[in-house]
Amino acid sequence: MDKRMVFVDTSLCTGCKACSVACKAWNDLPAEKTQLITSYQSQGGTTHNTWTYISMHEKYENGKMEWLMFKHQCYHCAEPSCMKSCPVDAYYKTDSGYVLIDQDKCIGCGYCVVNCPWNVPKTNPEIKKTFKCTGCIDRVENGLLPACVATCQPGALHFGEPEEMKQIAQARLAEVKKDNPKAQLYGDKAMGGTTYLYLLLEDPEFYGLPENPTTSASLIAWKDWVQPWGIWLLPIALGASAVSFVSTRVIKNMSKSKGGDIHG
Amino acid sequence: MDNDRVLRFGGAARFAHWGHTVTFLVLLFTGLILFTPALNFLAPVFGGYVNASLVHKIMAVFFTIIPLIALAMNFKGFIEWWKDVFSFGKDDIKFLMKFPLEFFGFNVEIPPQSKFNGGEKMNSVVTTTACVFLALSGYVMWFKDAFPLVVVQWAYPIHGLCMLIATCMVCMHAYLGSFHPGSGESFWGMWKGTVRSDWAAHHHGKWYDDVTKS
Repeated sequence: MDKRMVFVDTSLCTGCKACSVACKAWNDLPAEKTQLITSYQSQGGTTHNTWTYISMHEKYENGKMEWLMFKHQCYHCAEPSCMKSCPVDAYYKTDSGYVLIDQDKCIGCGYCVVNCPWNVPKTNPEIKKTFKCTGCIDRVENGLLPACVATCQPGALHFGEPEEMKQIAQARLAEVKKDNPKAQLYGDKAMGGTTYLYLLLEDPEFYGLPENPTTSASLIAWKDWVQPWGIWLLPIALGASAVSFVSTRVIKNMSKSKGGDIHG
Repeated sequence: MDNDRVLRFGGAARFAHWGHTVTFLVLLFTGLILFTPALNFLAPVFGGYVNASLVHKIMAVFFTIIPLIALAMNFKGFIEWWKDVFSFGKDDIKFLMKFPLEFFGFNVEIPPQSKFNGGEKMNSVVTTTACVFLALSGYVMWFKDAFPLVVVQWAYPIHGLCMLIATCMVCMHAYLGSFHPGSGESFWGMWKGTVRSDWAAHHHGKWYDDVTKS
């Protein structure tokens, strides 16, 4: 399947949380006991049983309050840190741009959990498996919309081909910029470009998002330097010992006639 | 003279050495499973990932406790070890420069060495530092909720790098202490505790003089 994209128009989101419910219904995820984070927000982050949720942000201007909404789920990055950090190659990417976990391979080590710039994947400690949004790959590959997109009432979620999504996004950006000078697109420049493209009404920091998410220096040091190059220390040490094992004995034999040896 | 033996390593040093040998090797092979996907095949040896991780954690605790027990057993010996390691002088540099030739079997003149020669001093510093960082980064990864995210993220490459450095040193050290013809007797120094006097005089002249004088 060709590359697909979801456009999240946060300016139209009403915070009804139907996407979160539809996600749980389709993916058969149990409800969780929640508590209020802010006045109406009941979910503080993704969990192994909650793959998408809405965070609600209060914006005060001229004595008036306005809600800004943000839908959280896996961004399905083109260059995913989770996949890079996985020690058992459980992560894989589909042609449609989705980043998925092979649950048979996953061992729940949590390396991806600490390396995702948005802290999306979460491990179920009881069964030692890590879960996150699958982008509803099972629906999408069969011609259906992702559950969250299919259920969104105010039309804040769009699904389709990347070019089409980007056109809609640019048009909406031009529209909302009239009233929201800080409005911007988010995701297109992050992690090689994300499958979920956002229209924000404020700076990313306002929503508690990293402004410029990149592969962390520690992950690059680990996977691009220590692992592929550092491993050579071991064959070098073993090889030098093997050479020495032979050469010491050869040289000793050659100089045997020269008299006593204190070694050994 | 040939039958005389001198004490080289007391009980605490030998306990720490062999305790760390066993725990390090088990930690190495249970840890390598997650170092690269190419070594995932090691997991079934320890009964799968969950069991391997359990073994790794149990061994990690012993790996931490063993040197602490040894320290309590003989703190004076520990101080003497590090005093000698940091009395790094001209003769140690000469040793390090000539040692590569000696390593491959050429006969070279090496100035008299103290209890630990230049190479052993380097090994003491490098391996001990690597082990300390291995333990610290390991506990950060184990109790990751108790540490800031950036510390946890850096613990992974640090753990990997220190593992590689320590394992490289261990490979060389194991070979030099066993099959290298020049250092055969040093194995018995760590196994039985004593070494032949003539070997001690030849390999660690300064130390032998100190021991025999007192």
